[in-house]
Amino acid sequence: MSAVDPPAWRLPPRWVLLVGVLSIVCAEVGGASMARFKLELARWARGAMLAHPSVHGLVGVRDVDERILDEALVKFDAGLRLFHMHAEGMGLVVIATATVAATLARPGAARRVIIALLTVGGAGYPVGYLVWSALIPSQGLDAAKTIAEWLVWIPFGSAAIVALWWLAGLTALRMIKP
Amino acid sequence: MTKIACVGRVLATIIFATINPAAAHHVGSYVPRDNAVTTNFKQVKFSVQAKKFDVALQLFEGGALRAEMRAKAATLPPGLEDGTRAALKASDGAEVERRLMLFFAALARDLAREADRHLADAAAEARAATGRKFLEAIWRYYNLVDFAVSVRDNKTSVAVRLAFDEAETYVKPTAAAASVDASRLRQPFQRIANVLSTLVEASSTQARRDS
Repeated sequence: MSAVDPPAWRLPPRWVLLVGVLSIVCAEVGGASMARFKLELARWARGAMLAHPSVHGLVGVRDVDERILDEALVKFDAGLRLFHMHAEGMGLVVIATATVAATLARPGAARRVIIALLTVGGAGYPVGYLVWSALIPSQGLDAAKTIAEWLVWIPFGSAAIVALWWLAGLTALRMIKP
Repeated sequence: MTKIACVGRVLATIIFATINPAAAHHVGSYVPRDNAVTTNFKQVKFSVQAKKFDVALQLFEGGALRAEMRAKAATLPPGLEDGTRAALKASDGAEVERRLMLFFAALARDLAREADRHLADAAAEARAATGRKFLEAIWRYYNLVDFAVSVRDNKTSVAVRLAFDEAETYVKPTAAAASVDASRLRQPFQRIANVLSTLVEASSTQARRDS
């Protein structure tokens, strides 16, 4: 390699690539299942909501309850859609950012931590949408969101954001000190 | 600034810049949709406005509006379904509008009565939420005919709107709403029920006298 050649891209560890690809696979399977089992999923969710009337604040008056059920079903469906979209996107983000980290970070603990945070955070975050969706029928809209937030979105999202800031700082540093 | 304070500030900034975006995930938004009855009402109304009475009659005969009129016949003014059909056949747009106004006013009245019953039994912490849900349901029907009501009986329209506004202030999701007592919250619902009841009865009596 001559002095003017750019540095070659380095692949991140294989397990990182596997996680990224698996995230995309799950997104595709999730999207296809959503379309294939749309009616079954809606029926199950509606049945589970009707089995927990107090959780959803159902009052037994059709004109009042139908709007509550409709909103919960729309959010249930939105959760599945958002899982599909985020898992697809984050799979690519994991692969791309881990490759940048593997290329620019010097071998050592810092590189391993950045790649681990990017991979775990990036692949874990979309699962929050599945958790949210799955909990809506039994826990209600607000409780399901709170559980998904504290169990998945905040820890995994924070891990990914910290790693991305770290990587951004590192990339800036490499511009000054190649 | 000491080194510890400096590190502390940097850490606080990192946490702020991390937790805030992580907690602000996108969860979609919900826009309430029309139900079968309000959808059919709009279809019939727009057909009548376009003077397509044959289309409006078809939509009425096969739609949710007529099915709901039959299902709630016991609480509606007598002959409402037949009268609406006759008005459509006679291409009488004003009478169709009046009949449909009566129908939705009666639906809103029944919901206000139901709300009053529910609020009497509701637990204190659930009272505001229950009231809010009933208000949404009442408004979904009443707002379809508010203009028709105001043209025929402006006082009723104003009274319903004032009662509605008052109820809305009680059911807002605030600390004050949580402590609102049942009798105070029930009053605007009772007023809505009474005012709409008077409107429905007066209009039905008028219709019988005219026929």
